[in-house]
Amino acid sequence: MANTEKEKELLERLKNGVIQYDEDSVKEAAQEVLDVGMDPNEAIFDGLVSGMEEVGRLFETQEYFVPELLMCADALYVGLDILKPHVTKMDMGVRGSVVIGTVEGDVHDIGKNIVKMMFDVAGFTVYDLGRDVPLDKFIEEQIKTDSDLVCLSAMMTTTMVGMQKIIDKLKAKNPNVKIMIGGAPVSREIADKWGADGYAADANNALKEAISMVSALKRMRDESRQQTK
Amino acid sequence: MSINTMNSRERVLKLFRDEKVDRVPCFSGMGNVTTEGLKSLGYKFAAVHLDAKMMAQSAASTYKLFGFECGVVPFDLCVEAEALGARINVYAHSEDLLYPTIKEKVIHNEAEMEISVPEDIAERGRVPLVQEAISIMKQEIGGEAAVGTYVLGPFTLAGQIMELNDLLKLSFKKPDKVGRLLDVLTGAIIKIAKSYEAAGADYITVREMGATSDVLSPRVFKNLILPYLGKIFSELKGSTVLHICGKTNDIALFMKESGAKAISVDQKNDLAETRKKLGNEALIFGNYDPYNTLVTGDEEKIRSAVRKCIDDGASAVWPGCDIWPTVPPENMKTMMDEINKYGG
Ligand code: B12
Repeated sequence: MANTEKEKELLERLKNGVIQYDEDSVKEAAQEVLDVGMDPNEAIFDGLVSGMEEVGRLFETQEYFVPELLMCADALYVGLDILKPHVTKMDMGVRGSVVIGTVEGDVHDIGKNIVKMMFDVAGFTVYDLGRDVPLDKFIEEQIKTDSDLVCLSAMMTTTMVGMQKIIDKLKAKNPNVKIMIGGAPVSREIADKWGADGYAADANNALKEAISMVSALKRMRDESRQQTK
Repeated sequence: MSINTMNSRERVLKLFRDEKVDRVPCFSGMGNVTTEGLKSLGYKFAAVHLDAKMMAQSAASTYKLFGFECGVVPFDLCVEAEALGARINVYAHSEDLLYPTIKEKVIHNEAEMEISVPEDIAERGRVPLVQEAISIMKQEIGGEAAVGTYVLGPFTLAGQIMELNDLLKLSFKKPDKVGRLLDVLTGAIIKIAKSYEAAGADYITVREMGATSDVLSPRVFKNLILPYLGKIFSELKGSTVLHICGKTNDIALFMKESGAKAISVDQKNDLAETRKKLGNEALIFGNYDPYNTLVTGDEEKIRSAVRKCIDDGASAVWPGCDIWPTVPPENMKTMMDEINKYGG
């Protein structure tokens, strides 16, 4: 809870700075958060992230388009870069780690970048492989980073087929990894048919689904740890 | 009895000249090569982008096999970018159906945005190859079917030669700088398009899909992009089409104002509304769903979608984007059969 007037004002400035994609104003406000000794975790979630939620709404109602969204995200990252180092790991409630990319043969990455941003906002560790990513690269990267989640994006019917190969290979190598797929031609039915663990039609739902998958994963791990004890 | 009294070429050319046609034409300004066509020629998709003859034959095969009323080259969106110095990937190793993409951009940061276009741009990269493919197609099917080609719009081309994220943000932060780049690219596009006209193209489509309202606001479209599209269409003397996919209802009027002879929209456009807005005279091509209807639809869906385009006021039944190559041959035949029955 923001208890002082000053803290309320700072939250408001962070939030509006993100909404109005004003990097300078976010930078100043974030610096002041540290100067007055306010809880950086609160500044992130009730300031920056709350601003980004409003941006998401403006995007849905078509008041904002992709360029505005990208600029808001830049403002958000400016704030995160200043505040994050001052947050203790526990407060951040690190959600998990995710490997994300657009599959081979596909350069459509606007949607993927938006989904990625949602993960950044929510405190995931994100390994972004970019676009036109060779199928095996996803598998290598998952193993290298031991990530909880792999997210695949495809915008074309042909490249979408590549997802199935990645899912099969990943599951063979590591049955515990969770896989989520998305992009315009992808549907819940396809995700089920190919054995993906999750699907979402847009970035907001992608985040919700990811959080529930990763929590399930953590629960599973905790339980198996208890049993082996 | 058939309702057809003209061949496809006459029908399409008359349409562009605002003359009466025997029935609504069914053709495209974008790629429409099919796997079936490639199979009939024994070509791999990865090979047909690099050889004029193979490209022309593949493009012509859709007319030859199904009577779809045109041939269109090229099949990818990298030709202009390559002529400007980008490197492309045609996925030669792949047996899958992958479209060529840009591997190495031309502009890597804001400072590199001040590019100039070489005088001989229409002789660089694969531009001559496309010119040649147009001429070959002319010989192969030019007496019976319309021969088309396309270029990118300046904004979409800019997104091919620099990072799209940066371009989108700079459109807000530094519109003047983006405007200067679009102006330079407009010059290149005009040169290339004119060389295609000279090679014998019956019509040219300008594809500005990067400026769809799924990505960019109508306001930015109007202020930043429309002026350059206007310049392109005022320079081209032949038949022209402006295509934008995705959401376009809010920019349809601007699209018409660009001066293109016809506008082309996809299945996300409410075509009946667009028709009402633009009036009876406007040439509106669309908005047949090239995947969810043409590739995966059953017979009834394929037929009723043809009728819906016509009932909504389409001047030509025209796929909203490249026809997806894996389209089953029966589906192409069904679509053409329906247009022959209902298009009169
Ligand atoms: C912009 C665009 C391009 C740009 C891409 C630039 C870039 N860097 O991204 C350019 C011009 C380069 C391009 C090229 C091509 N394109 Co294109 N393009 C589009 C367009 C207009 C917009 C896509 C977009 O960005 N939408 C906006 C974003 C925000 O939405 P989104 O991507 O759907 O993402 C959301 C969700 O899907 C979801 N999501 C996305 N990823 C993920 C991942 C996960 C894990 C989850 C959970 C959710 C999720 O969340 C996102 C945010 O809410 C679409 C048409 C359209 N209107 O959709 C065609 C479209 C995708 N393109 C198409 C085609 C055919 C092509 C080309 C093959 C054309 C050609 N002849 O070469 C080439 C392909 C090149 C290649 N090999 O990749 C077709 C695909 C058809 C099909 N059925 O496969 C489309 C659908 C057009 C059409 N109407 O048919 N294109």
